[in-house]
This record gives sequence, C-alpha cells and structure tokens, in this order.
Amino acid sequence: MQGQFASNDTHKYSVILPTYNERKNLPIIIWLLAKMFEENKLEWEVIVVDDASPDGTQEVAKQLASVYGEYKIVLKPRSGKLGLGTAYIHGLNFCSGDFVIIMDADFSHHPKFIPQFIRLQKAHNLDIVTGTRYRSTSKPYLTDATPGGVHGWDLKRKLISRGANFLAMTVLNPGVSDLTGSFRLYRVSVLRHIITVTQSKGYVFQMEMMVRAKALGYTVGEVPITFVDRLFGESKLGADEVVSYAKGVWQLFTGV
Amino acid sequence: MARAHRVAGVAALFITLYTLVFLQTLQVPFIERNTVDEVLPVIPWWLLVLFGSYSLWSLGWGLFTFRDCPEAYHELLSEISEAKNDLRGKGVSVD
Ligand SMILES: Nc1nc2c(ncn2[C@@H]2O[C@H](COP(=O)(O)OP(=O)(O)O)[C@@H](O)[C@H]2O)c(=O)[nH]1
Repeated sequence: MQGQFASNDTHKYSVILPTYNERKNLPIIIWLLAKMFEENKLEWEVIVVDDASPDGTQEVAKQLASVYGEYKIVLKPRSGKLGLGTAYIHGLNFCSGDFVIIMDADFSHHPKFIPQFIRLQKAHNLDIVTGTRYRSTSKPYLTDATPGGVHGWDLKRKLISRGANFLAMTVLNPGVSDLTGSFRLYRVSVLRHIITVTQSKGYVFQMEMMVRAKALGYTVGEVPITFVDRLFGESKLGADEVVSYAKGVWQLFTGV
Repeated sequence: MARAHRVAGVAALFITLYTLVFLQTLQVPFIERNTVDEVLPVIPWWLLVLFGSYSLWSLGWGLFTFRDCPEAYHELLSEISEAKNDLRGKGVSVD
C-alpha cells in the first residue's frame, strides 16, 4: 500500500458500522474507535451504513465526519431498513482497507479489543479473528488476552445463551466458541468470498458466516471479549428469537 | 456434502453394525456370545444417558463459569462521559 505510516503496520483497517437508531451511541463508539486507532498508530476508516434511522443518526454522523474527516468517517446510508446482512455487503463495497472489522454500534463491542485481534491475526497469519464471550484465553494463545464475560445478563439469559451455544456446538461443531457474536476481524478478500456464499438473513447470518468459513478452510482465531449489553435502546430475546435460532442451526446442519 | 449427510452416514454405519451383531449375522471376536447378548441391549440406553449427563454437565459448567464483568461496565461508563465532554467541545451533539 502507498502512503506514510507512523508505525510498522502497513495495513489499513476498515470498520463497518451498521446503524439503526444509534444517535446516542454513534458519536461515542466513533470516539472510542478513533482513540484506539490513533494510540496504536494504525491506518483506519469507519464506514457508517445507516438505514434511514428516524432518530437523526445521520445528522450526528455528518457532524462526526466533519470533526474526524470525511475520509475517516465515510457515510454510506441507505434509504430504508434493509437488514443487517445486506448492510455489511453494502459497506464492503466502499472499504478501502485490506482488513475489515465488523461490530455493533451499541457499545456491546468495545474497540479496546481490536489491537488484540490484530496482534493475533499477525502472529498466526489468520484469515478471521472473532471475539468470544465464552472463553478466558485466546485461541491460539496470546499473553495479553484477558478473560471474556458479559454484563447485564441475569441467570435466565445466561442459561438461554449457554443452551443455544451448546446446541450449535453439538450440531455444527464449528470450531469457534461464540457463533452468534458479531465482533470480528476479516481479511477483506475472505469476507467478500464468505459473504457472497452466505444465504441466510438476520439472526442466522453471523452463524452461517463462521460455519462457511470453516467449510471453506479459512483459519479462524478467537479473542475473549467482555460484552456489556446495550445501555441505551433495547435488545430483543424472546421465544421468537429462540425458535428462529433453532431453525437456523438446523438449516446450517442440513445446508452447509 | 452437508454436515447432516456426513453425520447420517456415520450413524447408518453404526446402526447397521449393531443390527448385524444383534441378529447374530456378525460375531464379535474375542468376546463370549453370552456376554455380548447381555451387553448389547443396554448400549443404546447407556449412550442416551451418557449424552444426557454430558449435556447437563456442560451446560451447568458453562453457566457456572460464565463470567460477569462489572469492571468493563464501570470503565465504559467513565469513558462515555469522557467522550461526551470531548465531543461537545468539538461541536458534536451529544446528550
Ligand atoms: N443498517 C442497519 N443496521 C442495523 C439494522 N438492524 C440493526 N442494526 C444495527 O446492528 C447492530 C446490532 O443490532 P441488533 O442486533 O438489533 O442489536 P442487539 O439485539 O443488541 O444485538 C446495531 O449497531 C444496530 O444499530 C438494520 O436493519 N440496518
């Protein structure tokens, strides 16, 4: 790549942030991202894919682009709520980096883990590094990884999560411990490849990406992350989600 | 070939072997027929119980070791207020 780099890392990291009604969260997550990238002297950009949020997410995104620069905060809005999976595909069209980071904009994924993702990727030349709430060490081992965990979940929520995870592990044997998490680092070509063969939408999308990655022979590492459940706005987990999750696992079992 | 097909293939193999031994078409070497006849009928139940207890243990252990991270929450809260102050100074609307 061309350009001047303040560190010996000559890669560029593109973060794709899909947003829907994240006016309160977006400025802070961008602030945290910017701080982390600058401290680690990395080349970066954030692609904000907003689906016409009625709460004014785009106005605040524009303000952020003028503060940090339009080459750093790239706004690629869409005209309607078209779903998370296609938001990544849309964002991917505009990435200029050679690595892509996918995360939620609601602070459940903290940028402080990204340097560890990058170190693990480099150490083992991995195609994908995924965050995991279920492990206490990274895989392969990294000395500075700290145990993962969650905040804001009661026992019932933890049980559902463990049960769902156990089901997927037993049925799919995916080789990673956190299938539904969506905090991941991808080599850009690998993400392009996997995303074109991934068919499911919504909840199952993240799971299918990992199962496909394994089936296609890509290398995947894991870094434990702490997961603070969304502070603002609500997170949904009801009977419908559980049923569609189980259906998704079955689809992947018979389809991949 | 999907994972389901591979799993079905392996399962079919084992079920066939089991049936053949059960129907005495196939003999198990080095083990007396009496012993085989006694052990064979309980194997499916044994597998079922084994899987059940494995599931329960693994769920229970997973639940027990599911870590809470209040420190991450408190750290995040202070970072949020720091970010808000800084962003307000730069003219970004935060509330
Ligand atoms: N662009 C876009 N972003 C979305 C859509 N749905 C959710 N998001 C964003 O995707 C991330 C995860 O959202 P969601 O899965 O609803 O939250 P969770 O239930 O707390 O995991 C957040 O940053 C949301 O703002 C959508 O339809 N379009």
